[in-house]
Amino acid sequence: MNTVKAVFDYTFREHVRHKVWLSAALFGLILIAGGLVASALAQDERARMLLDLGLAANEAIAMISVVFLTVHLILQEVESRAIFLILTHPVRRWHYLLGRFLGTLAAVGLGLAAMGLFHWLILFALGWTGEGSYLLAWSCSLGKTAVMGALALLLSLALTSEAAAMAFSVFFWILGHFSSEMNYIAEKSGSSFMRAAILAFSRAAPDFAHLNYRDAAAAGLPGHRWMAAALLYVVGYCAACLALSVQIFEQKEF
Amino acid sequence: MKALAFRKASKIYRSSHLGRVTEVVGLQNLELEIEKGEVFGLLGLNGSGKTTAIKLLMGLHLPTTGEVEVLGRRMPDVEVLARIGYAPEAAYLNRSLTGRETMSLYAALSGIPASRRAARVGAILEQVGLGRAVDMRLSAYSKGMLQRASLAQALIHEPELVILDEPVTGLDPLAIKEMRAVILWLKAKGTTVLFSSHDISEVEKVCDRIGILSGGRLAKTMTQAQWRGKPDALENAFAESVKRTDGVGEIKLK
Repeated sequence: MNTVKAVFDYTFREHVRHKVWLSAALFGLILIAGGLVASALAQDERARMLLDLGLAANEAIAMISVVFLTVHLILQEVESRAIFLILTHPVRRWHYLLGRFLGTLAAVGLGLAAMGLFHWLILFALGWTGEGSYLLAWSCSLGKTAVMGALALLLSLALTSEAAAMAFSVFFWILGHFSSEMNYIAEKSGSSFMRAAILAFSRAAPDFAHLNYRDAAAAGLPGHRWMAAALLYVVGYCAACLALSVQIFEQKEF
Repeated sequence: MKALAFRKASKIYRSSHLGRVTEVVGLQNLELEIEKGEVFGLLGLNGSGKTTAIKLLMGLHLPTTGEVEVLGRRMPDVEVLARIGYAPEAAYLNRSLTGRETMSLYAALSGIPASRRAARVGAILEQVGLGRAVDMRLSAYSKGMLQRASLAQALIHEPELVILDEPVTGLDPLAIKEMRAVILWLKAKGTTVLFSSHDISEVEKVCDRIGILSGGRLAKTMTQAQWRGKPDALENAFAESVKRTDGVGEIKLK
């Protein structure tokens, strides 16, 4: 596991040096713009609007960052041939992929944490008190980020095209928010082939309903079982994507 | 004792475009053994198969037929890479890291224990003359400094076998002299050295034996006794053995 840690360390450092954290500045600008709009509202409404806007912006920025970084993660190292020197040392390919993925996730997670802290401080200043539920919402965003990172990594290795991997990742991200609608369409489909195809597609795409904290919260605060199921889904989906990525990566010659 | 062996190793590169498959011979039925402690030069024109042979040794490529053995292990074998040092023809290093961070990464990947890593990193950077640039990012290194950093990562774990791909290409005369000294120093320590080159004058100064590749085939092998004290012997043998196979025609002077 020393090699995973070594790859993790340099990946994290590389992203930090490439100023990934600047995405937090974009988040700040969105909140300032939101704050200006919200200043016309009453105190209660203002906090609610900034809460929703902040969480949505936090998640969107993290998703864009993680997709952008992971589709370049391996392909750029292949292009620059830096991968030659890594893989000519005693590094198992799955160690390399895992280290690269976790290093990227940590860098994006750090940005997510910075944005979350900044957001929470503003909400706190407005008198909002929902620390526990905020942490849960933030964790769900991190879970979605991990899922999208693993999927983007898989797509980049399978398609070997950064542009195509990015486009497909965004498509799957959108699809991931419509899993119940996909199932409904599959049920209503007259053709068994179409039904099977839609269901297969729906299963392969991430299902963000598992991380939809708001729907769960609407029926009261989600319990441990819901949280465990969400965590299990994230870990399982990421593991499946990484396992497929390793399969593809093991076949590659450089 | 053999350091490495190619046993009827062939590499055919296959690519397909719109269903049309193209095959290019990288290496054909290569039979070659190199003894431990030997300095072996692999000579050949561009596209003759030198880099393909090296990539097969490093496990970056898989042979289409035949097999490749390094230090008693059939390649690809991740474990044996801990005993090999490899420097490619250009310094394919991650430019966002400093010299120290780069060497720490390769020390960790090579399995040097954490307790010995810092000392070894300092020592190798001093040894290649980068002692005053340890905390500079590689993006600020000159080409010569990058070549030295690339050499340092190949030697950091004190390998038994060092493989250098075109180590003198593009270097200034002083750097070429230093590289020659490094190869002779490695030989004096009992390290096996395999390097590829176009430069006949360099090869004849340091090699115990050479192999001439042409069109992916081993056209000739020679021992030092066959060229030492015989002006132009190696150059003539080279000119007789090789023919252009990279699709490049002669320059017409008219």
